[in-house]
Amino acid sequence: MTSLTDRYVAATLRTVPAPRRAEIADELRASIKDMIEGRAAAGQDADAAEREVLTELGHPDRLAARYVDRPLQLIGPAYYLVWQSLLRRLLTVIPAVVGVVVGVLKATVGDEPEAAVGAGIVVAFQTGVQIAFWVTLSFAVLERTRTPLTLPEWSPDQLAEAPVERDVKLSDTCASIAFLLITLAFLPWQHLRSWVSDTDGRGLPLLDPALWTSWLPVLAVVLVLSIGLELVKYRLGGWTWPLVGLNALLNLAFAVPLIWLLATERLLNPDLVDRFEWLREGGLEMVGRVTIVVVVVITVWDVVDSVVKARRHTR
Amino acid sequence: MVSDEILRTHLQELRRGTVVVASLVALRHPDYGYALLQRLTAHGFPVDANTLYPLLRRLEEQGLLTSEWNTEESRPRKFYRTSADGEAVLARLLDDLAAVQTSVTGLIEGAKR
Repeated sequence: MTSLTDRYVAATLRTVPAPRRAEIADELRASIKDMIEGRAAAGQDADAAEREVLTELGHPDRLAARYVDRPLQLIGPAYYLVWQSLLRRLLTVIPAVVGVVVGVLKATVGDEPEAAVGAGIVVAFQTGVQIAFWVTLSFAVLERTRTPLTLPEWSPDQLAEAPVERDVKLSDTCASIAFLLITLAFLPWQHLRSWVSDTDGRGLPLLDPALWTSWLPVLAVVLVLSIGLELVKYRLGGWTWPLVGLNALLNLAFAVPLIWLLATERLLNPDLVDRFEWLREGGLEMVGRVTIVVVVVITVWDVVDSVVKARRHTR
Repeated sequence: MVSDEILRTHLQELRRGTVVVASLVALRHPDYGYALLQRLTAHGFPVDANTLYPLLRRLEEQGLLTSEWNTEESRPRKFYRTSADGEAVLARLLDDLAAVQTSVTGLIEGAKR
């Protein structure tokens, strides 16, 4: 059974380069004995004193790192920012490009379109992990060899343009309005140019034509008002509390009739339902349920999103 | 009132460099690690053993201290002594310490007016 001191010295030397071990060992051992004797002279039990001294000296690897001046971090402040920006640049582009290329190859050359998305995601993830690992490893080595990086010094010329005081981006507003317009256009389009035809070859509207005299105009008006809301929001530069309230009202005015029509199975064209057997045999109910869940999720998401953004904007 | 934690970090920062100054002064009389630790503590420079021992080796590598093994006593001990280079560096450090004190005094008096 070796003494605690022997074990401590051995543990410390383990990470010290061989040529310097002997001298550090002798000195450390002597210092520990001095410290123990100092405490014993003050009337302390020898074993307790040894324990206390070693506790005071702390983790052997930490002490060894101080002796040989070795960093106790993977990547220190000298390299951290370079590591971070390099990793960010590589990770934003390469995994996505590789994933898309592999996905496209799988779908075309490999002739397995159903496996393309999965393969692309897996390869993109693996590429990302590989990049992160090798870049980090390289910088960890640089940190340990203390290789100076001869990079150009930072200068004020590198500063990006300050973001304009506007929480809503033009691109977001355009995207929202485009989505609303497409939804709006869908209403007449599905009535006039449906891709589903009846037995005589005439187009079958997807939605119940009877709704044109009741709920469809209401939904269309709500969509138009929503476009107006997007425009006002852009002009004001962000969400305000009255806009949040208006948005919630419009969301409800769209979602409640839609859910009610779905729940009572009055949304889809009855002729269309008759045309397809699986719709008749319970399919309609399932389509209704799934659509209701989707509508609820989107509505809640939109309202919560507006509240969060309004809090940020008005702060 | 600021927390003890914040106060402690600031005091630590302030004290950090003074351990080197104190060691270079104290080792004008050769001494070994533990004895130096006790002397520094007695003179109001409390320092952790796991900071001081590696520091002595580093100062030796930098040529600011010389060392010699003393085998006359019951156990062999490594004695350190401030070298000529160490004296030169110490002189600069002491000048700077005095300059800091002067500057602080000047600032304090300037602020009073």
